[in-house]
Amino acid sequence: MRIASLLWRFPSVLMAWRNLGRNRLRTALAALGIVIGVVAICSLGMATVALEQQATAQIGDLTNEVTVSSGADSDTDGVTGEQIEEMRAIVTDARVIPQKTNATTLEARNGMEARMSVTGVTDASALYDLTEGEAPERLQSGALISNATADRLGLESGDPVEYDGRIYRIRGFIESEHSFGFGGGDLVIPVSGLADQRHYDTVTIIAADGDAAGRIGDRLDTRFNTEEDEELRVTTFGNRAQVGGFLDTLSLALLGIGGISLVVASVAILNVMLMSTVERRGEIGVLRAVGIRRGEVLRMILTEATLLGALGGLIGALVSLATGMVLFHVITGDATGALGWASSRYLAYGFGFAVAASVLSGVYPAWKAANESPVEALRG
Amino acid sequence: MSVVELRGVGKRYESGAEIIDALKGVDFSAERGEMVTITGPSGSGKSTMLNLIGLLDEPTEGTVSLRGRNVTDFGEDERTEERRSALGFVFQDFHLLPMLTAVENVELPSMWDTSVDRHDRAVDLLRRVGLGDRLTHTPDELSGGQKQRVAIARSLVNEPEVLLADEPTGNLDQDTGGTILDEITRLKNEEDLAVIAITHDEQLVEYADRVVRLVDGVTRT
Repeated sequence: MRIASLLWRFPSVLMAWRNLGRNRLRTALAALGIVIGVVAICSLGMATVALEQQATAQIGDLTNEVTVSSGADSDTDGVTGEQIEEMRAIVTDARVIPQKTNATTLEARNGMEARMSVTGVTDASALYDLTEGEAPERLQSGALISNATADRLGLESGDPVEYDGRIYRIRGFIESEHSFGFGGGDLVIPVSGLADQRHYDTVTIIAADGDAAGRIGDRLDTRFNTEEDEELRVTTFGNRAQVGGFLDTLSLALLGIGGISLVVASVAILNVMLMSTVERRGEIGVLRAVGIRRGEVLRMILTEATLLGALGGLIGALVSLATGMVLFHVITGDATGALGWASSRYLAYGFGFAVAASVLSGVYPAWKAANESPVEALRG
Repeated sequence: MSVVELRGVGKRYESGAEIIDALKGVDFSAERGEMVTITGPSGSGKSTMLNLIGLLDEPTEGTVSLRGRNVTDFGEDERTEERRSALGFVFQDFHLLPMLTAVENVELPSMWDTSVDRHDRAVDLLRRVGLGDRLTHTPDELSGGQKQRVAIARSLVNEPEVLLADEPTGNLDQDTGGTILDEITRLKNEEDLAVIAITHDEQLVEYADRVVRLVDGVTRT
């Protein structure tokens, strides 16, 4: 009774609510169509956000890196010291990390042997994450070794390893999963250890983000290379915009599929509203006869459609939120990611589309009912 | 002065090649405080005449006046306003809305009108027709006679001057019909209404101050 007296101020809402309550099964089925449409839109949208976050997390380390190596038309078999000085002059806003690489075979005390890559680098901390401790800012003595290799050979911190006749003590272990961008991660020693190699094999430049990496790559390419003459090979890993572009296309396609189901649902609402206005023809005639204006009948029926859409949209959004959290848990391992705006905005979109589609579906039945001649309508 | 007046009113229906003159040059008037019944066989044009008086339909010739104003050429929206302010309708099938309570049904005509609160008037009318204890009942909890009382209360909620009744006792037994007619007569006097009822019912004719007989679209007094 109290709700009714409040609704009394909004007669269209009161009438619409009561009308929807008259045939609950039909109302529920019409709303279910909307629920399915909203869930389709929302969960597909949220799935692409989860995929995008996962993809970005995986390639994030790569996309901000520029890798430079000797070009096809270079006279030297590597990147020269002068070239590196020039790079440092051009690239002032990112770290330039030259590396020399080779390969070697290490023999362990237990007699096991392992073939591995050797990287000589000074600025080790920029390239490697260690499982314990911090990589030294400047690697002058000692060696870093990858976790997996150390395990295989039974090496521990402080153990000696030999390369090119010199002994290095192990100072840290490199997280194996990190940096699959450049091959050399097995054994890392000071660059002086590879002094017999005159030139650097690769130079890694770590920029702030993918876009900055792309700009640095372009600048280096312009500086060192012409169309016929490639002095240096400059590689960027494609920036986030490109990755994002692909995912945008994917999400658009998925949203399109979700959208189709919402169109189907709104056709169902159109049908339900048409049927119910045809059934209530006589009633609407009575309304018109007792002096209810055409606009008021129109509003009443539009409100009915809107309520259907809002009801279905709300339930759909709630179901989608649950679905989204499951999706995020499966794809990224973090269910709360679904609550972020990037993904939860699809709930708002889904709800908005549901209401808009329902209102649109209600327009024709409402217009038809409101404009029928009262005499015709009263005849039933 | 007559509150309702028809002058030379004709209504012609054309469906394909067939032309039907439902009303031919009808003159009619009604005063406040009187009850007029319109009788006649089926197809004599009774309903057509009531629809024209009730501004639900437009005549093809002649003029219709309401409260001294010529309303013949009123558009749909103006006619709606006239129905809302001056006319009340009672139907043979009651035509209550099933999802609304008795008092809500009575308030229905003024529901969208936020400038007036007719709730007290609605309750008062329901008490006056003996349904003070049925205010929150829905139509399916009411008998036929009670439904028609609710419908009568609804027709009067906007304080009209004319009450139009289409076979108001047609779906009721003799006794119930009698009490409904007593009710209408009493309210007619209390509210100074012009009551215009169409009927086959001889009982209703007994209550009338005046009877208009309609045969083949022509009045015979």
